[in-house]
Amino acid sequence: MNSQFRRALAMALAACAGVAGLAGCGSADQGDSADGKVTITVDCQPPKSDKADRDSWNADVAAFQKLHPNITIKSVDKFPCEEPASFTAQLRGGTEADVFYAYATDTDQVVNSGQVTDITQYVNDKTVPGLSDLDRTTLDVGRRGGKLWSLPRTNYSMGLVINRKLFKQAGLDPDQPPTTWAEVAKDAKQITDKVGHGVAGYADYSAGNNGGWHFTAEMYAQGGQVVTADGKKADFNNAKGRAVLSRLHRMRYSDGSMGAKQNLAWADLLKLASAGKVGMYIGAPDTIKAIHENFKGDYADFGMGPMPGETGPAPATLGGGDQYFFKKTDTPAQIRAGIAWVVYQELTPGKGQLDYVRGKRIGQTVGQPEPQLFTGATEQKVEKLRAANATIPTDNYAAFRDNPVPFKVEPPNAQAIYKVLDTAMSAVLTNPHADVTALLDTAEKQVNQVLAAG
Amino acid sequence: MQTRTLISPTRLNRPGAKAAYWIVLVAVIVTFTLVFVGPLYWMVTGGLKTAQETAQSPPTWWPAHPDPGNYATAWSQLSLGRLLANTVLYAAGALAFQLVFDVAAAYALSKLRPVLGNVVLAAMIGTLMIPATVLIVPQYLTVLDLPVLHANLLNTPWAIWLPSVTNAFNIFLLKRFFDAVPEELLAAGAIDGAGPIRTLWSIVLPISRPILGVVSIFAVTNVWKDFLWPLLAEADPTRQPLNVGIYSLSQNVPQNILIAALAIAAAPTVVVFLIFQRNIMSGLSAGSLKG
Amino acid sequence: MTATAAPQRSRRSTGGGAGRRTHRYSLGVQRNVTGWALLAGGVLCFVLFSWYPMIREFVLSVQQTKYGETSFVGLANYQRVVHDPAFWQAWRNTAEFTGLALLFGFALPFLIAVVLNEFRHAQGYLRVLVYLPVMLPPASALLLFKYAYDPGDGLFNSILSTFGLPTSQWLQSTTMAMPSLVLASTWMNMGGAVLIYLAALQSIPGELYEAAEIDGARLLRRFWHVTIPQCRLVLSLMLMLQVISTMQMFIEAFLLANGSGPEGATTTVVYLIYQHAFNLDDLGGASALGVLLLLVLAAFAAVYVRLDRPRG
Repeated sequence: MNSQFRRALAMALAACAGVAGLAGCGSADQGDSADGKVTITVDCQPPKSDKADRDSWNADVAAFQKLHPNITIKSVDKFPCEEPASFTAQLRGGTEADVFYAYATDTDQVVNSGQVTDITQYVNDKTVPGLSDLDRTTLDVGRRGGKLWSLPRTNYSMGLVINRKLFKQAGLDPDQPPTTWAEVAKDAKQITDKVGHGVAGYADYSAGNNGGWHFTAEMYAQGGQVVTADGKKADFNNAKGRAVLSRLHRMRYSDGSMGAKQNLAWADLLKLASAGKVGMYIGAPDTIKAIHENFKGDYADFGMGPMPGETGPAPATLGGGDQYFFKKTDTPAQIRAGIAWVVYQELTPGKGQLDYVRGKRIGQTVGQPEPQLFTGATEQKVEKLRAANATIPTDNYAAFRDNPVPFKVEPPNAQAIYKVLDTAMSAVLTNPHADVTALLDTAEKQVNQVLAAG
Repeated sequence: MQTRTLISPTRLNRPGAKAAYWIVLVAVIVTFTLVFVGPLYWMVTGGLKTAQETAQSPPTWWPAHPDPGNYATAWSQLSLGRLLANTVLYAAGALAFQLVFDVAAAYALSKLRPVLGNVVLAAMIGTLMIPATVLIVPQYLTVLDLPVLHANLLNTPWAIWLPSVTNAFNIFLLKRFFDAVPEELLAAGAIDGAGPIRTLWSIVLPISRPILGVVSIFAVTNVWKDFLWPLLAEADPTRQPLNVGIYSLSQNVPQNILIAALAIAAAPTVVVFLIFQRNIMSGLSAGSLKG
Repeated sequence: MTATAAPQRSRRSTGGGAGRRTHRYSLGVQRNVTGWALLAGGVLCFVLFSWYPMIREFVLSVQQTKYGETSFVGLANYQRVVHDPAFWQAWRNTAEFTGLALLFGFALPFLIAVVLNEFRHAQGYLRVLVYLPVMLPPASALLLFKYAYDPGDGLFNSILSTFGLPTSQWLQSTTMAMPSLVLASTWMNMGGAVLIYLAALQSIPGELYEAAEIDGARLLRRFWHVTIPQCRLVLSLMLMLQVISTMQMFIEAFLLANGSGPEGATTTVVYLIYQHAFNLDDLGGASALGVLLLLVLAAFAAVYVRLDRPRG
């Protein structure tokens, strides 16, 4: 009898102990020790499938640690660098890396979460050499309430990506991408009609919040905005908004030049483009990099022109990027180490992601007009290095590079607004009888609700 | 032995009926093979195609230039091995925890019936009515910061193992089975001086093998098929199970490599199933009903 | 420890009414202690991961967290989610999915089981076939379906046009998106139900059919008056499980239709919960939706129990 009881009790105790033992697993390990050594975890290490990028990241870590023997970098393999659900989950759980990646779109969410450190006092000309030459708009992506919360990693601005091969097959000049929406529509129809085989002359997003993102970009191109300057009201239920949606609807159903496949999210469109099924789409240079490196398309087939507008290149285009934040629990030593690493890896001409000499040697993509993190002499230096080591036909980007369009950042509460606008985009691309006015009315109401709730 | 069903054997033996029977049978066999094996064929051959060919219209029935290299690429670049190992770890742990805790609980509720046992049972069965996803938010917050202990289980196997114990359906099946174990058997054990735990171990468990098999299958497949919970609880990509990992990968690779990865991910369970299908099938149909 | 000592004392005291009472009493204590010791692990897990979260859901639904600060907001979260136009759409979609899933996920497997049960040949082979998809990781099966649903050059449209049938927009048509999800879901999950129905059918005594036949009952009448009543228990249990599992449909919409689908045609209540919690950073709204879904399911359960009892 006794042994029976003891066993039963032991079982119950084991159940408790098993749980209690976990308490140790979750506790945060302190990064810096008495001897001045400091360890930081950094996420967004390139995935194994991007061999060149991953190898150079690892080499950079080794070189950086040699330069700073007291710092140890632990890389966190994460792809996509930000997956919305697990990103939010980690942010809420405080399980993100010490130095963690986020889209420009999500600055509000990150700062509101209370999980990050204000790095204003750590950032100066000494800790971030070339700070004065850093592009202001790009740096300000990480500024909220007068405080700086992040350092930029890359930035982008959207233009018109074209498939040069399909342009030639359709009898169009790939060196002269269309610069107005009327020309885009005309060329798209010509590509679909001449090439056939289910090729979409033009493709656009309508799912996974990408539709709202591109609607915003196309509003900017129209000279409009999606939210008023004070950030309080929706500002797309107007002639400009109607122009954007009716144009897409016309191209989809009257011209039939947008292909059969819709409800595309980010990777869907790029996969189609890599398979040679898309003549044109709106996007930044990094999409061509993804097409080449992830989806095995060919660089030579793709080129870019400026964001189209009503009568010529657009007055503004959507820009954004990504950034590194510093976790709330970081010690000052960890923050300093993190800043040193981000500067070394992302913001030093000739080093890290901007080491174009190595890039060329190991077969990375060099020569895209992106990122443009600096202004003035620093930017010129970067561009010179880039041009000298280009691995891709840079002339394909001439039209984009030579017609710079000023970029405009994303609206506040971007994801919630994009989610609403996804529906409108999805409707004009999948419903032959979509009512543009009604769609914009509904979307306006919903966005105003989102903004009112803050 | 053939038991009598809807249609009587004598009626089936009439000449006209016999022909009809065979026509229906062959039609069903062909349809089922197409419907259930066809997609698998499509998957395996799709993984051999080039990216261009996977987007071709109309699709090709057999790859023009079969390239088994896609499978090697998918396996090595996408770390499918690691995803598979994670899944096995989660499934094995969940199985062990459920076999210990759920069996113990069901036995206690069925044979020992302690005070408030009925309340506990009702509260457990009540959770059957509540889809796990409804509680995803508070559950997530709980795992994030365990009450009293203040442990953070995120990105540890515990975040999958411990919640898996709250499988009311398995407890229900086990309890029903234990209920049917005759009291005389237990009484015989008691006369020999065996306490309740020894009785469970040496009398009840040996005759419960069918139901333990069923419960094990359910425990493993639940982990194998779960998506939203591991997506959130194991957000770290190096710790994701296969089902979530494939989704993450789908954002990052060409269509042909993705299809190859889908096929690889499907292979282990399909192979295990085909080898053990006799046991699994008879176990599932016997245990789930007669339990 | 006093509990472990009790049985020994009782064993020593033999005979006498008082002693026997102590004996019975201590046996009860022992049974309770052992019982609860065995229950402890399971109950602890239920407390932590099921019962406590349920309570917490109600608490969260009247709170809001902003900038790391949590405050009580009354019913504001409920008002907000109910006024979201996506709210009613999500309920309609969930109802539509549940309805379709009952038609395909509940009725179809039963019919298949009835037909399979009549076969004297190849029954084992067919059972294995039906169960095969259950073995795939859902992500594998669904991403394959997504590929096959491609409205341009997908497998399904190619097959349809080969036979000269009209093609479909599948996932990107507001009317076909939901049925497409149900189709994929049914293909993936049907095997389990077919097996259970088959087992139920095989336990029907053959004499019942013979008796019905002697009474002159034709095929359909035999099906209606013998097969269905004999399987009633299993059918009603499966109905409940089916409704519960379809109500929490998530991965199908998430993987096949990028979540919300064309014009939100596949947004379900659970997807809305997910959106609020993990995309819009709105835990309060997500919990409010969770509570509402909980109440609807509880109402369903109550109706189910009430309808089920008198006849059972």
